[in-house]
Parts: sequence; structure tokens; C-alpha cells
Amino acid sequence: MTKLIFLVQATILALSTSLLAQQQITGTVTDRTGTPIFGANVYLEGTYDGASTNETGGFLFETSETGVKTLVISFITYETLRYEAAVTTMNGLSLQLREDVNTLDAVTVSAGTFEAGDNSKVSVLNPLDVVTTASALGDFVGALQTLPGTTTVAEDGRLFVRGGSADETQIFIDGIRVFAPYTPTTNNIPTRGRYSPFLFDGITFSTGGYAAEYGEALSSVLLLNTVDEPDQEKTDISIMSVGLGLGNTQKWERSSLSVNASYINLAPYIALIPDRNNWQQPYQGFSGEAVYRFNTENGLLKAYAAFDHSEFELTQPSIDMPEGVRFALNNSNFYTNSSWSQRLQNKWKLFVGGSYTYTRNKIGILSNQIENGDHSAHVKATLQKSLNSRWKVQLGAEQFLTEFSERFASEAVRLDYGFSNPITATFAETDYRFSKRLAVNFGLRGSYYGSSNLWRVSPRVATALKLGEKGQVSAAFGTFYQQPTQEVLKFASEVAPRQANHYILNYQYVKNNRILRAEVFRKTYQNLITYTTEEPQPNIGYSNSGEGYAQGLDLFWRDEASIKNLDYWVSYSYLDSERRFENYPIQAQPSFANTHNLSVVGKYWVDSWKSQLGMSYQYASGRPYTNPNEPGWLQERTKDFHGLSLNWAYLLSPQKILYVSVNNVLGIQNINGYEYASSPNAAGVFDRRAVRPAADQFFFVGFFWTLSEDGTDNQLDNL
Amino acid sequence: MKTTILVISLVLSNLLWAQSPYQKGMTKAFELWGQNKTTQAAQLFERISTVETDNWLPPFYAAQVLIIDAFSAEDKAVMAELLKQAEGFLQTAQSLSPNNPEIMVAQSQLLTAWIVYDSDQYGMKNSMKVTEIYKKAMALAPENPRVVLGNAEWNIGSAKFFKKDVTPYCSEVQRAIDLFATFKPEGEFYPSGGKERALEVLKVNCEK
Repeated sequence: MTKLIFLVQATILALSTSLLAQQQITGTVTDRTGTPIFGANVYLEGTYDGASTNETGGFLFETSETGVKTLVISFITYETLRYEAAVTTMNGLSLQLREDVNTLDAVTVSAGTFEAGDNSKVSVLNPLDVVTTASALGDFVGALQTLPGTTTVAEDGRLFVRGGSADETQIFIDGIRVFAPYTPTTNNIPTRGRYSPFLFDGITFSTGGYAAEYGEALSSVLLLNTVDEPDQEKTDISIMSVGLGLGNTQKWERSSLSVNASYINLAPYIALIPDRNNWQQPYQGFSGEAVYRFNTENGLLKAYAAFDHSEFELTQPSIDMPEGVRFALNNSNFYTNSSWSQRLQNKWKLFVGGSYTYTRNKIGILSNQIENGDHSAHVKATLQKSLNSRWKVQLGAEQFLTEFSERFASEAVRLDYGFSNPITATFAETDYRFSKRLAVNFGLRGSYYGSSNLWRVSPRVATALKLGEKGQVSAAFGTFYQQPTQEVLKFASEVAPRQANHYILNYQYVKNNRILRAEVFRKTYQNLITYTTEEPQPNIGYSNSGEGYAQGLDLFWRDEASIKNLDYWVSYSYLDSERRFENYPIQAQPSFANTHNLSVVGKYWVDSWKSQLGMSYQYASGRPYTNPNEPGWLQERTKDFHGLSLNWAYLLSPQKILYVSVNNVLGIQNINGYEYASSPNAAGVFDRRAVRPAADQFFFVGFFWTLSEDGTDNQLDNL
Repeated sequence: MKTTILVISLVLSNLLWAQSPYQKGMTKAFELWGQNKTTQAAQLFERISTVETDNWLPPFYAAQVLIIDAFSAEDKAVMAELLKQAEGFLQTAQSLSPNNPEIMVAQSQLLTAWIVYDSDQYGMKNSMKVTEIYKKAMALAPENPRVVLGNAEWNIGSAKFFKKDVTPYCSEVQRAIDLFATFKPEGEFYPSGGKERALEVLKVNCEK
């Protein structure tokens, strides 16, 4: 009986198994060159039936499926292959995988572009670096000045890129233009970036050849991306030798809000360490900013608003006026920026954003009073689509509008003037990856300038080729247009936009936290603005007859791996640039361009001291100035510039940091230029005065304290 | 008649004993994992996840295998690829089971692996995220031994970095060990391991 039962059971088992007839599926998986792929996952979609490939790329498994099925072959760094056929024919298959062109080690177009931040594949600087660079004093612009392609113009503080003036660099927050990125200042007092560095988690600094999406910049763009989602709720308190700061972040299920406020007053510092200016009212400024983020299923809304007010009054030395020149400034600036990005169906992505700025200045120079107001807006929309994993397209349109009005009042005259500057632009871009090794980016931008009633079309091309595992070459070409500056537009709004062409060849080598970049470039300028007086004035002749060029070599080396706890980078730039613009009688090297720039930045973490020690050295060869006692224009050079800065960040506890920094430790007497008397003295010689920094050295002490529930977060990235 | 009933009941019981394809697959995958055949194990979990499209366990384990594998990867490029893949599986798991403390523990491990991959780039940022995730997980499941252990281990790591005393967290490790003894997984194949790890952590950091 028992025997029988077993027999029956065995038969039934055999029957039930044989009902599911087994079909063998076999084949081999290789890449396009025929090299076997070991360890690929091969399976019938929607079933458990599958196997991994062996050393020779072969696979074998059994299935009880019938009919037409999809065989899926997936392996990391390759595109997943789907093969549809009748199960019975899946025998001795020979399958080839295409490499995935979007992997971490795939080529990226790097000509002209430095990525800083963790959203990039090859970061030159990470967010922490931006703010722990000794010479930068917590200013992201200051940190970027240690990268090649920038010129040290110590008395100004803005970004001067590859022989271009400061206005040729444009700054964008979340893709939207910032109209007044720098704090207001006056002659010989370097400015700073207006925005707090820790709002951003991605910084892309392009020194040329950037995409068609970005216009109205002749030399460079700086793209800042705000944090999508803050990590946690916290309160930050900063007590500094120059002021106070307070920040708070709140998080909810889908949204978050960060607010920051700071108050800076230089009066105590200047009382303690007087500088070369005679301050009637030392700089004081209040700023507040807020970022709100809201996540939906497929979209993200970001709204950013910042207000700041600053004022100061001082008397600066002048060769023509022994009593000095009085300068007073009262500036209010409001900036708001909102953007909405949404993933749509079929791999479309929509982005809509806009910004509005209102700036109001009251300036007193000697006995003259200047008041101006500037309303500027930028609205932009883009549509992006991935046609497949290799091919992406982007279309977009944008509108800029600036309404500017100014009143100049002195005892003798009163003048009112202004301009309206509408610019409409559309752009189209396409990215194509032929393989993991070769990528091309084409772009076209068309702009309409309302004030001059002119159309301009600028093509852009960039390509990159990977040479081996670690090295790649990249090239870029582009045409760039930019409206003249506000100083010119307010007196001559009809002048045509300026033009530049960029040609860039870049080599990059990346290996184990070491990066080497070398880039040669040539840039030509056309239609630069010329005029006849020293400064722009009403009713003088303005024309677009200026031109010029810039060419040179940029080198960058960063090494975080060779010496434990030491991270350093070295930047060197060679620049050859001449131009004829403004009131230049001949083509000459402009005063904001010099031939050699070198930066060395080092950071060393001392574990036993719980401290980071930082140093930064900057060298810049002399800059041109005109000596009216000799024939020629911009014919002489100042002496070379040297600066050594040190900083020390000490972690008192995970949440308390003490930070000390000294700029120009050696007290080197740098000279930024010379101011010559407007008329010769009795002996027929023009007297001169060396323009020195307001103070040779700057000391900074700060205490940063973070309050958060878990007690580990700190403001290291706020330094 | 008797025989027929017997046969029928036997067939039925045979069907009852027989594991479902899901059980077979999962058992096989754990077996492969146990034999250190991590690629095959991860791939089998991946295959199961393409069938069991509403079950968070297969993608969770696929990620888990890859994360543990990544920690021992010698080549940084391989490590990054493994972590990227794991990230994808964890996202799938998370979308199937939001606010799941087990997935949160795996997420913390993934973020920690990125810190190991490049501490300069990810150290600061991911540390904050890990802390935040454990805070949330502890609130959701204060009695889950893996959450308690992960949180304690993370705090020990931070305390060591700042050269602080680790003993306050040892009691948490001990609590995790006690919780492992009484922990009942919610269902078949649900995470239940980790006690050995807890004993190891206790031994290395707390017993001197």
C-alpha cells in the first residue's frame, strides 16, 4: 500500500513536472569588439529564469516559458539589451552589449569649464574648498580667483577672466541671471560676492566656450545652483570680528525653508587697525535672505529672495586734491529668483524661472550727488528631452529687461537720463554621445537687442574625446555677444552689442584624486565700445570700432592623495592680451590684464589638534599703467604682486569652530597702480601717487556655532 | 476509495509543501549569497524584483548585497558602479515601502560607503544625511535592533573622529543585542540578522 502511494505520488510528480516542458536557453554575451562579458545578468523578463554569464561570456538556463518572450541582458557600465523572440529559438544566441555612455568614467566636455561641487563628475573644487581657502575670506568669488584663467586685480575683487573686464563675466543662480552679484564699493576697496556661499551645492565656473543657453557674457559665466534639499534642521550662529550672522533651516515633509541674516560693521575693526582711508562712516551693511523649496511628485519649486542694505562714507587720498575725495554711498538691493522644474512624460523636462532685481544707489562724490534706480528682470523657459541614452536636446527662450534711470546733481547742473534695455533670445542645443569616449555638443543662440534694433546669431560647438582611462582632450568654439555696460548704455543706448570668439583646446588627466588640466585658448574681440573722454559722458561720440584679442595657456594641478591629510592645488596662467576700447588711442594691454598669474593653495588637517591649517599664495606679474611723463599708452608695469594668507580652523567641539585668518602675513607692500596728477607741476612733470590697498593686511577672527538636534553638524562649510 | 483520498491528499500536500517560485528564488539567492557568489545573488534578487513588482524585499536585498560587496571592492571605479547600482535598487525598494526603517538602515550604509569612496567630496554632506536618516528611523522603530545598532555604530564612529568617549553608545549596542534575541521578523525573508555584527561592535569598541 505504502509502495503504491509512493508510486502514484512519484508518477504525479513526474507528470506535473513534465507538463512544464523545459526549454534550454543558451548563448554568449560580448561587447562590440567581441570580448566576452563575464558576470552579465541574463533572464527572461517577468520570470525567475535566468543565469549569470561565465568567464567566456556563455550562459545556459532552463525555462518552462513558451511563445515570444523578452530576454534581458544587463551588466553595469553597459546598456541593457532586450532581445525579443520565440523561446524555442533562443539557442546559441550571440548577443552584443553597447557600452553605457553615461557612466561615471564617461567623457565630459571639459573645455573651458571648472566644476566645483558634488553634482559634477570631475570636481576641481568642492563646496568646502570654496570657503576654506585662506585668501578667500569666505567669499566664493575669492576662492575662484585661485583657479587659472583669472587675473589678480586686488583692488577690485571681481572676476577678471582671460583678458576680459569684470563685466564680461555673468553670474547665474539656478540658471537665472543675477544682475547685481557684488556688494557695492568704491575705488580701491575690493568687493565681495553678495551671496552666502553655503546656499550653493554646485558651482560651475566657465572661462570660455560655454553653452548656447548662456548669453550676454563675453568672457565667462559662473553658474551657482542652490541646494535642492537641506540635510537637516539647524540654527547657525556666527560671531565675527566684523559682525554677526544668524541662520535657521526648517524642514517639512515636502518643503523646507532656510533664512539667513547678517550684520557687518567695520567700525570697531577700523578703530583698532586704521587703514589709509579716512572713514567718516565705516562700512555697515545688513543682509537677509530666504530660500523656500517645495517638492512635488515630479517637480521642484525654488523661491529665493534677498535684501541687503549697505552704507558708508569716506575720504580717499587723491593726488589732485590734498584734502582728499569724499565718497558716500547708500545702496539697497532686492533680488528674487524663482524657478520651477518638472519632469513630464516621454522624458521631457520643463524648466521655468525668473528673477527680478531692484537696486537703488545714492552716491555722493565731492559735492556732487548721484541717485539711480535699476529695475531688471530675466524670464526663461527651457524644454529638455532625452531622445535616447545618447542623444539629448534642449530648446529655450528668454527675455531680459532693464529699466535704468539716474539723476546727476551738482551746484551747477542737474541731469536726468536713463535707458531701457530689452533683450530677447532663443537657443537650441543638442548633446550627442557617439560612445563613452566621444561626445559632441552643438548650440545656436539668437538674440534681439531692442535698444539698438539688432539681431545677432551665435553658434557654439564643443567636443571631447577620451584618450585612455584617465586622459581626455576637449575643444570648444563659440561666438558670444554682450550688450554694452550700463555706464555706456545710459548715454548711448543705440550702440551695437560687443562680440567675442573663443577657441579652446583642453587636456585633462584625472587619476586617484589627482587632476591635471592644461588649456590653450585664443579669444578675439570685435565691436568693443570706444569713446573720446576719459569716462563715459553724455553727448560724446560712441562707436563700436574697438577690437582686441587674448591668448594664452592655463595650467591646473591638484593633488589630494600623495601626502596624507594634505590637499593642495597650483594654478598658473599665461596671458597675452591687447585691446583698443573705451578711450584707448592705440591697441594696448589693458590695466586689468597681466602676463603671469600663479596661485598655490594648501590645506592640512592636523588630527591631534582637531584643526585645519590653510595657506594660499598668490603671485601676479605687474599690470600696465600709463605714465604721462613718457610717450605712449599703458606703457609701464607696476611691480609684481605677492600675497601670502594663512588660516586656522579649530574644532572646539563638533559644533563649535574657532576660525582665524590673516591676509598678507608678510606685510608685502603691494602697489595696484598709480594715480597721476591731471596737470603737470611747475617743473613740467606730472606728479604721481602709488595706489596702495586700503590696508596691507587683514585679520579675521570668527566663532561659529551650530545648534542642531543630533549634535554633529557644524559650519565648517560656512567658513 | 481510501486510496483515492490518500492520493488526492498527498497531491494536495505535495502542492502545499512545494515552495512557490518566489520562495524558491529567494532561498536560492540567499544560498548564493551565503556561498559568497555575490554577483549571482544580486542578479537573482534583481530578477525576482522584476517579477515581484510590489514586493520591496527583492530590490532591498539586491541593494544590500551590492553595498556590502562595494565595501570590499578594491577598485574605486568598481565600487562607484556597485554603489550606483545599489542606489537604483534602494530607490525602487523605497518607492514600494516608504518610511521603512530597514531600508533606511541600508540607505545609511550606502551613504557611508560613498564617504569611504571619497571622504572629501561626500564626508560632510553624507554625514549630515546619515544622522538625519537615523534620527527618523529611531523615531519610527525604536525597538528595531538593526536601527538601534546602526545608530549606535554611527555615533561611535563620530565620537571616535572627535576623540570623544564612546561608552555612552555601548549601552545602545547592548540594547540592540538584547533586542535581536526577541526580534520577530514581520514575515518570511524579512531582515532578521545582525546580531554577530553587534557582538563584534561591542567587542571592538566597548570591551577593553
